[in-house]
Amino acid sequence: MGQLPFAEEDSPNERRAASAPRAVSDIPVNPASDTSPRRLGRRSLVTLALLGGVLFLAALGCDAEAHQSILSSTPWTLDGVGGPVAREQLLLFNVLLWTMVVVFVLVEGALLYAAIRFRRKPGDPLPPQTHGHTPLEIAWTIVPTILILGLGVWSVIVLFKLEPGEAIALAQAEGKEPVRVEAVGHQWWWEFRYEDPLPGDEATKLVTTANEMRVPVNTPIIMDLKSDDVIHSFWIPKLAGKQDVVPTKTNSMWFLAEETGMYYGQCAEFCGTAHAQMKFRVHVMEHAEYKAWVESFAEPAQLSADAARGQLVFLGDGQCVTCHTVGASDVVDPATGEGVQHARMQTFVEYTKWLAKRADERLEDVRTGNEPPTAFAAPNLTDLSCRVTLGAGIVDRNRETLRQWVRDPDSIKPGNRMSELAAIYQTRLDHRADLTEAQLGDLVEYLSAQGPDICLQ
Amino acid sequence: MVTITGVIPRPSTYTGLWSWLTTVDHKRIGALYGFSAFFFFIIGGIEAGIMRMQLVTSDNSMVSADWFNAMFTMHGTTMIFMVIMPFGATFFNFLVPLMIGARDVAFPRLNAFSYWTFLFGALLMHAGFLIGQVPDAGWFSYANLTAAPFSEGKGLDFWALSLQVLGVASLAAGFNFVVTIINMRAPGMSLMRMPVFIWMTLVTSILLVLAFPIITVALIELTADRQFGANFFNTAAGGDPILWQHLFWLFGHPEVYILILPAMGVVSEIIPTYSRKPLFGYPVVVFSGIVIAIMSWAVWSHHMFTVGLGPIANSVFTITTMLIAVPTGVKIFNWVGTMWNGSIDLKTPMLMAIGFVALFIVGGLSGVSHAVSPSDFQQQDTYYIVAHIHYVLFGGAIFGIFAGIYYWYPKITGKMYNELLGKIHFWLMFVGMNLTFFPMHYAGLNGMPRRIYTYAEGFGWEGMNLLATIGYFVIVISLLIFIHNFFRSIKKGEEAGHDPWDAPTLEWSISSPPPVYNFAEVPVVRGQDAYWITKREAAARGETVPAEPHVDPSTIHLPSPSYWPLITSFGVVWIAGGLLIDVGWDYIRFPISFVGGIITILGVIGWSLEPPAEEHHEAADHH
Repeated sequence: MGQLPFAEEDSPNERRAASAPRAVSDIPVNPASDTSPRRLGRRSLVTLALLGGVLFLAALGCDAEAHQSILSSTPWTLDGVGGPVAREQLLLFNVLLWTMVVVFVLVEGALLYAAIRFRRKPGDPLPPQTHGHTPLEIAWTIVPTILILGLGVWSVIVLFKLEPGEAIALAQAEGKEPVRVEAVGHQWWWEFRYEDPLPGDEATKLVTTANEMRVPVNTPIIMDLKSDDVIHSFWIPKLAGKQDVVPTKTNSMWFLAEETGMYYGQCAEFCGTAHAQMKFRVHVMEHAEYKAWVESFAEPAQLSADAARGQLVFLGDGQCVTCHTVGASDVVDPATGEGVQHARMQTFVEYTKWLAKRADERLEDVRTGNEPPTAFAAPNLTDLSCRVTLGAGIVDRNRETLRQWVRDPDSIKPGNRMSELAAIYQTRLDHRADLTEAQLGDLVEYLSAQGPDICLQ
Repeated sequence: MVTITGVIPRPSTYTGLWSWLTTVDHKRIGALYGFSAFFFFIIGGIEAGIMRMQLVTSDNSMVSADWFNAMFTMHGTTMIFMVIMPFGATFFNFLVPLMIGARDVAFPRLNAFSYWTFLFGALLMHAGFLIGQVPDAGWFSYANLTAAPFSEGKGLDFWALSLQVLGVASLAAGFNFVVTIINMRAPGMSLMRMPVFIWMTLVTSILLVLAFPIITVALIELTADRQFGANFFNTAAGGDPILWQHLFWLFGHPEVYILILPAMGVVSEIIPTYSRKPLFGYPVVVFSGIVIAIMSWAVWSHHMFTVGLGPIANSVFTITTMLIAVPTGVKIFNWVGTMWNGSIDLKTPMLMAIGFVALFIVGGLSGVSHAVSPSDFQQQDTYYIVAHIHYVLFGGAIFGIFAGIYYWYPKITGKMYNELLGKIHFWLMFVGMNLTFFPMHYAGLNGMPRRIYTYAEGFGWEGMNLLATIGYFVIVISLLIFIHNFFRSIKKGEEAGHDPWDAPTLEWSISSPPPVYNFAEVPVVRGQDAYWITKREAAARGETVPAEPHVDPSTIHLPSPSYWPLITSFGVVWIAGGLLIDVGWDYIRFPISFVGGIITILGVIGWSLEPPAEEHHEAADHH
């Protein structure tokens, strides 16, 4: 009997009934003699069919080509990912997957076998009343512990490789410096700031863009993640696992892309209404191309006549300029080291507090000129023509979608802050922009002209 | 006992509506818990259906983003706090006194208080639907999304205050069952002779008592922020959103085991019965349950691997989380060991129990894959996690609950359910469950984040989501069959007899349904599997054990019904509900809430001064 020692201890209650048998097995029964094998029943065939179905599903699901897939095309290869960080994670997962498959087959197999093999038949006697088996218990405690500790040690090693220090070491080994990009999560779009987009270059230049970031190929990129509102999570599945973007702290992570191309990213921490539509793109470029983009950033745009009229709308009736910057980077306040968007975020907080006031108090504020300012954090539009999407990676950018976006943002992205806060959306009952179609057309021309020459072609 | 005069006499009705409102009988309270939990199971299931319909294909716009967010918030909150936990309480209430040979729980009126507080709290949470103020920040409600200016309306106030009320109910129940199990066991039932279900109830109750104060603190802070303008989580004023995550998951991870340990206890009763063998490695199964409970306090940060706690903290929680798989695995091995060489009868409860083990293995394995933090960085907050949690809580907890419902159905109702319908229910639910949740593993690994109300085409997620939605309807059909079987069998089922399964535990030694006093004579326990010992000794002598004879209930002292638990619960929920009042003067909510406090205090005073019912004869009193 495999009773462990502590099962033997007596309690006061037990002494009252000390003469009683300790367990069912102490009562004599007819020993079971039936050990004849039984054929596989219909039910087991059903179960096998089910298992087959599950495997079929498994085959169906392996789709390494999908935009955000973190799988390789087969569980024994490491293709499908774009760089070393995602590859480390994939390797770990694939090994875990194989371990899981082996354990799954063994344990489910034993369970199924027992359920089928030891079925009761009419007239079967009581089976042998065993209570346990100590060596077996020790074995199936120790073997998984060793297996798990082995995997655990490996995970810890990988964990340290995912720290940004690894990126610096990697770059130094090649005599380079990693590119640092600051990503700021906003409800519900991404701001990207490059304080030193060309490390090692004499001339440095602040570059600010939104929702689509550009990085050079085969260069370690360190992301410094910040939030001015709620918690978001920065995730480029093909390049690296996610890292949360937390207000009050700066998290860092790194990745390296081995091939040029476009990678998909998405916010992975629930952050409110439009969480599902807080996406972004990463454009991995050749070094020369990346350098050209940086150097031509914020060069004055050549405006057609339509676009020039559009600029007047941007600055005038549309009041777009209150929140959006064009033709420049969002500057840093030298006193605080924080960008202009940060100041705008504080405005947003003040403004919502003000909105929560009673209507008569707000009216009084308007009368006395005590209303809070209304400039809020919004995407920098300087390189808009370089972007392939609008609304934080949710629709393709072209003149048609741009016009629709400005006219009625809710029709593309419910819960966007622009239609909630910008003045031109508050005057009409249908909540659309208070601009004429002609003004909209000119504005679209003006916005489409924003960007360096390399993008306008 | 001193009779205090001048206070309202105790109610004395044992039939009709009043008898249910004032009952302190653990079996009736168990039934109330069960029906309430099933009611909320249907509501949570409808919420799941709305989500599955919305996600059936890409770019669907059946519901708005805000509605979808409200749906997944309420689905999670409902299923965890208003379905699985009260289903656990259903089994605790009905079975603990019966399985340990007692006549009721230690504090019968506190038990009634737990139920009413739970029900009122759950109704308060859902009252938000009536005025369109539905919580929508997720069942975890991460700060600072819950703070102004990011959360408008009163939805989160409903969530925080109702959850606080539900916590009061859980704490009261937890204390009650700890005391009951420690103190009220029949003579001879030493700790190591207790059925495993009782062990798991004890462990769960201790976890409840220790874990709920943590969420209570977190909810007090959130309520202070929202009601009184405090700044615990207001980042603009220096508050810390990570504080919420630590508090929530330090509660939340033991909570996961509060949800699953009762189901593990149920399964540990069912597998031996239908294998006609004692549980393999009883002390190991008990001990691993205790180890799981202790280790559950050391793994909370695995919910926070991506928060940026640094590689040292992540390493520690990676290792502890992986190690908690060991005691869980040991339990599974012992269940298989119990079946090995047994004489297995695949009745519906046994099928459900085997289904539990089979599905829990899948959930456990995927759990190990995100215990490994570098791999979890990719899986965190994707549908892979959604698949995992549903294999553990649907494949695990819900299958365990249905196993228990079928197993004890004859004991609770006195009737036998329809076996064929039961098996159809099992197979449909098993297939539907896998069809719904297995594809989610792939959706997640193909990069689908959770909590998104829509997705664009071209990401390769449509097929998986379509399968999941089809699976949902298969589960719905299986549940309709269950409901039909349940109610039809109460009316038309065969008489079950007192021991239809030849079961090993004490509740089967008394008639079905059990008489109000449970045991005419308090049993003496002489080993594990006490009732098997009695039966097999008799069989060795060539005799059969008859069910206990009926005796006149009036000769046995039982706790009398009481109004006060209901009144006190009403006061407690009024305190919370009052703070949600939003009419006219902004501060009217404080005096209204204060009235609830007065009702609560009066309830407690009335409770403590309540006279005992009319005296019974000494001779019948077993104490």
